[in-house]
Amino acid sequence: MTSGALIFQSVVLGLLLGGLYALLASGLTLYFGIMRVVMIAHSAFLILAAYLAWWSHTRFGVDPLLSLVVTVPLFFAAGVLLQRGLLSRLRPATLTMMSVLLTFAIAVIIEGLLGYAFTGTQRRIQLGYGTANLELFGARIAVVKLIAFGLAAAALLTLYLLLKRTTFGWALRATIQHPDAARLVGIDTNRVAGHGFGIGLATAAVGGTALALDTTIYPSLHWHWIGPLMAIIVVGGLGSVPGAAAAAMVLGLTQSLLQIPLNTTWAQTVFYLALLATLAFRPQGFFGGRLAQRF
Amino acid sequence: MPSASDPSSTTTIRRPTVTVARAGRVVLLVVLVAAVVSFPSLAPNPYILSAGILVLNYALLSTSWNFVGGFTGYISLGHGALAGLGAYGTGLLVTRAGLPSFLALGVAALVVAALAVPIGYAALRVRGASFVIVSIALVLVLLLVFQSWASFTGGSRGLTVPRPFPDLLRPEHHRVFWFLFAGLLALALLVWWLIDRSRFGLGLKAIREDEDKAESLGIPTFAYKLVVFVVSAGFTAAAGGLYALWFGDLDPVFQFSILTGSYLVLMALLGGVRTLFGPLLGALVVGTALEYFKVEYGGTPLHLVATGLLLALVVLFMPDGVLPAVAAMLDRFRPAQQSIREVTAAELREQRESGVRAETELAATRPGTPSTRERA
Repeated sequence: MTSGALIFQSVVLGLLLGGLYALLASGLTLYFGIMRVVMIAHSAFLILAAYLAWWSHTRFGVDPLLSLVVTVPLFFAAGVLLQRGLLSRLRPATLTMMSVLLTFAIAVIIEGLLGYAFTGTQRRIQLGYGTANLELFGARIAVVKLIAFGLAAAALLTLYLLLKRTTFGWALRATIQHPDAARLVGIDTNRVAGHGFGIGLATAAVGGTALALDTTIYPSLHWHWIGPLMAIIVVGGLGSVPGAAAAAMVLGLTQSLLQIPLNTTWAQTVFYLALLATLAFRPQGFFGGRLAQRF
Repeated sequence: MPSASDPSSTTTIRRPTVTVARAGRVVLLVVLVAAVVSFPSLAPNPYILSAGILVLNYALLSTSWNFVGGFTGYISLGHGALAGLGAYGTGLLVTRAGLPSFLALGVAALVVAALAVPIGYAALRVRGASFVIVSIALVLVLLLVFQSWASFTGGSRGLTVPRPFPDLLRPEHHRVFWFLFAGLLALALLVWWLIDRSRFGLGLKAIREDEDKAESLGIPTFAYKLVVFVVSAGFTAAAGGLYALWFGDLDPVFQFSILTGSYLVLMALLGGVRTLFGPLLGALVVGTALEYFKVEYGGTPLHLVATGLLLALVVLFMPDGVLPAVAAMLDRFRPAQQSIREVTAAELREQRESGVRAETELAATRPGTPSTRERA
């Protein structure tokens, strides 16, 4: 029996989930735009941030949202280091392929260290407001999901303003569009690229905290995220932030709606179907610009 | 022969090194074959033999991976899934359709090769990044499907594949499969070698070096990439099927594991993707290390850390592999190896001409030699 309320609830949940997808995919899109790097470790950092939020909550009893104060600057620094210290040392000719392997290696190292430090046991944050629900036109929405969406939306808005309104944002977009020309007008593209990676990784910190609020986490969870996220950036058109956001919303919504007739696992295959269909029929993605034509 | 002085001396310097290298290669090949043939009798116990089969399986998978990775430079992290498909295909054809074991293996390999056409079509139409994304997605989606579709695949409980030789004792069974794996590996190596020497192989390598230039030279890049991907998928699936018949028990978590795919990449990269025996060497090192780690440290997540660190080190410092690094080191000790920059174009032309003359035995009539002039 699929009642209207159930569908409405799914739509709302799908939009909330899509918001989180959009935030995370924006990070992946940034990396790809800056360096043509498919950053496999993005979702591993996401889970790392979730673990840090869980750990600070169980260890010190602070609200998981407070862990953002530490994780966001930490991840920003890690992103800068990753770009300046590792990825920029790879040969330009084979950068796309080798960076995949390098970030894959980082993802595996993070997964292994998380498993070593916290064991493979499934963890979940128990919050006072964790079970609270909000009634909205007959749909029951968990408060934590709303908070997670709020976090994601705030981070995306910040990112948007940063890219569009600040000098740094202009420099970053110039670096993405045409690195040589950007250098000619006096932009230190290396520094900007490093900071761009830092910002990308900071989105993983925010996303991880939002994820930890209402999800059970375990070290190998990041594989469940990287697949959908990569599908989203391909469907959206590699390198396009608005495209990724739109694709994230559409696919998150579809997944949520498909969970009504199918079970959770089958519903997740929609991402891979969308990925294959996009590559077979419209390889540049649906919102992609000039960049996506060649990748 | 007093008159055949300097021009031929350049060729006499070069020739022995070539023949020595060739003889060395033949000796190495003979040693390799002898080692493979004698290993089952030398192995002290069936466990060592079964560990050896696992390493051989890795060598076969890694060599199959190298059809795509080595020739075209497209790195696939999803070959573990192709092997898993071959394994499950073989197992399902034996258990559900009642086919004889080795017919099932052949059919499964062909089916996977056919499946590789649409997958490759989606993955290879555009450049690098999409290929990697599709290869990872392939592992993830197949894991989902094979775990969820329990009524057909056995789901998380796994699938038991009946043995092809029910009468054989376990050590004998291992011995037979050792030679089956070795035979398939030899076939894969032979095909790789043939492609390496062919026009097709040249085209593929041109794609690896510069796809735009290759395309502008008229190489049908998409068709080439697709064909070699299908060949690679076929061999990978056959290896997976053979594993299914040997091991007899399939679990989706291990068959569709992205980690298996990364092991193959690590092995090939470590050994050297541009060399015929690189993946084999890498599989020997990494496969043995994996088995050792499993025995010593069991199921701790530290093997993930070790794999990741090793992969990162190889990518950062030795992306061409061990074999080319060793070859470069040996080159330093070789005589008469000049950097081309030390010779001008005119000298080079003279050298080439005098070389031709030496070949046609004309050198004997020409005492004026480029190398004496060079010295003057």
